[in-house]
Amino acid sequence: MNRMVRVAKESIRMMKGNRLRVLIMALGVAVGVASLTMMICVSKGAYLEVMDIVNRQGQDLLQVRPGTDKHTGLPSGSREVVSLVEEDVEAILLHVGNIRAASPVKDRKEVEVKYGDKFTLSRIFGITPVWAEIRDFGPSKGEFISSEDLNFAARVCLIGQTVKKNLFGDTDPIGQTIRIKDVPFNVKGELEWKGISSAGRDRDDRIVIPISTYSKRLFREIKLNQIVITIGDTSHLDKTVEDVRAVLRKRHKLAEGEPDDFAMRTPQDLIDLAYGTTRSLINLLTGIAAVSLLVAGVVIVNIMLASVSARRAEIGIRRALGARKSDILRQFLMESLVISMLGGVLGTILGYGGSILLSSLQVTASVVTPLALVAAIITCSLIALVFGIFPARKAANQNPVDALRA
Amino acid sequence: MSEIDSMIKVKNITKSYIKGSMITHVLCGITLFIEKGEYVAIMGTSGTGKSTLMNIIGCLDKPTSGQLELGGVDAYQLDDDAISALRNKSIGFVFQQFFFLERTTALDNVLLPLLYADTYPADAIPRAKQVLVNVGLEDRTKYLANELSGGQQQRVAIARALINDPDVILADEPTGNLDSESTAEVLKIFHRLHKEGRTIVVVTHDREVAGHAQRILELKDGQIKELDFSSKPKDSSDH
Repeated sequence: MNRMVRVAKESIRMMKGNRLRVLIMALGVAVGVASLTMMICVSKGAYLEVMDIVNRQGQDLLQVRPGTDKHTGLPSGSREVVSLVEEDVEAILLHVGNIRAASPVKDRKEVEVKYGDKFTLSRIFGITPVWAEIRDFGPSKGEFISSEDLNFAARVCLIGQTVKKNLFGDTDPIGQTIRIKDVPFNVKGELEWKGISSAGRDRDDRIVIPISTYSKRLFREIKLNQIVITIGDTSHLDKTVEDVRAVLRKRHKLAEGEPDDFAMRTPQDLIDLAYGTTRSLINLLTGIAAVSLLVAGVVIVNIMLASVSARRAEIGIRRALGARKSDILRQFLMESLVISMLGGVLGTILGYGGSILLSSLQVTASVVTPLALVAAIITCSLIALVFGIFPARKAANQNPVDALRA
Repeated sequence: MSEIDSMIKVKNITKSYIKGSMITHVLCGITLFIEKGEYVAIMGTSGTGKSTLMNIIGCLDKPTSGQLELGGVDAYQLDDDAISALRNKSIGFVFQQFFFLERTTALDNVLLPLLYADTYPADAIPRAKQVLVNVGLEDRTKYLANELSGGQQQRVAIARALINDPDVILADEPTGNLDSESTAEVLKIFHRLHKEGRTIVVVTHDREVAGHAQRILELKDGQIKELDFSSKPKDSSDH
């Protein structure tokens, strides 16, 4: 049996006699590691959620909205601003290269929709046929809006799954007539199921119709609520965004120095927006982890120093019986390491539990990731070394005669 | 006493302590030779530096000046690791306070020196049990400190000192904390070890304990002198 293994075993044997002290020190580490674990799980959860949003929306999606929010630079909620019109879309398609498709979008919330004696309030979107490809939001049944529908301002629509459930239940809606603001529309198809958006909106509670029909039959207005654009080569995203901006500024006759009267949102903005909500939680958990790990370290130093003083006679007799300084150093370092690791295991279990709780209570997205365990092992080893070395050195350097006189 | 064959050679050792501006000379040039198989007592009243001398012989404490040879090795020329190894292999300590490790069985206490040996013997546990038999504690191997009497704890300490088969046993007031019955048992064990050919150095203030040794040295005013056998007391009630 190797000398180091013997000393390590002896260290653990001595700890068994002092479970309370070991537990107190381990608990300090556990709190820190639990925060650390949760921080990592929440970060990972947020990352996956953001990537999911970006993948769902497309890495190549550029949204332009009218007006600007002075504070955030993100689109304002003001629907009254008339700054984007259909001619803007034509100009973009004409003058900006690297664009695959662009569609104008008009929409209005809480519009009355009826089928027989059933009634619901839903969101109506006026769009062009390319919208389905741009938003990756096609029909699950039936057919999408065609160019002909657009040209003739046909009274046809596709309904989302929530609308279908509200109006038709289990009946097949295709070929049926619904009334939107009392205007009859033929249901051409069902939109595929999308679920809840990152903003918490039901993406299936919507009806899409040709934008021409929207303007002529429902709401006589020229302002667009949005322009959605698919970019060709995403590696030139920034350049394309600047080109679109230049075309719009020129068309809107904005003088140099005047702010944009529209706002653009890139996939990166989406990432920032989605991270923004979890960032404060991540920061909080990081802070708690840092403070509690530091406190745990200080507790280890203190209790280990007290332990070294209390065990002077033990250290003395070990030295008298032939223990080298390095044996004593290893014995006490081993103690810090075992205690720290014990706290790490406890903390990882607590942290995984906490992160499962956070996601099941829908506080935030959180994913149990093995990365947290790796981080815990590294952190605990570092704590043991950094905070354990001082007491261990003190023990090792104790003069055996002084230690025995105690 | 011949210098050539001696197992322990203490040559002109001094030890002084500096406290503030005061210098206290505890040992003032001690020279003594102890041969293999000798049973020696070092006597002296308390505070005369007996324990200091024993700690220096046991390589626990460094002298201010002078030389110590153990089995031909100049001990204080060695580095700390080598001195630790020397203590482990060549010296068996027995202290007044026993230093029985807490929450540790008698058997594990006896095994301690083997923990720090260069190679851990395969027969460690049977060996430890055998030395416990030798001190009459074969039925106490699993006992903890609080389950043993002072005398029994000291016998465990003697077993611990013997496990590595040391060249010399150094005992510092081994009976200082024991009643007369336990003292007699410990002295009996020392007597037997001496008969087996072991080298024993006992430091004591107790004339009766010293009386069991072959040779008695007295430490007084930092100097050592040999007491002749005629001054050995026949009887003493001084314990």
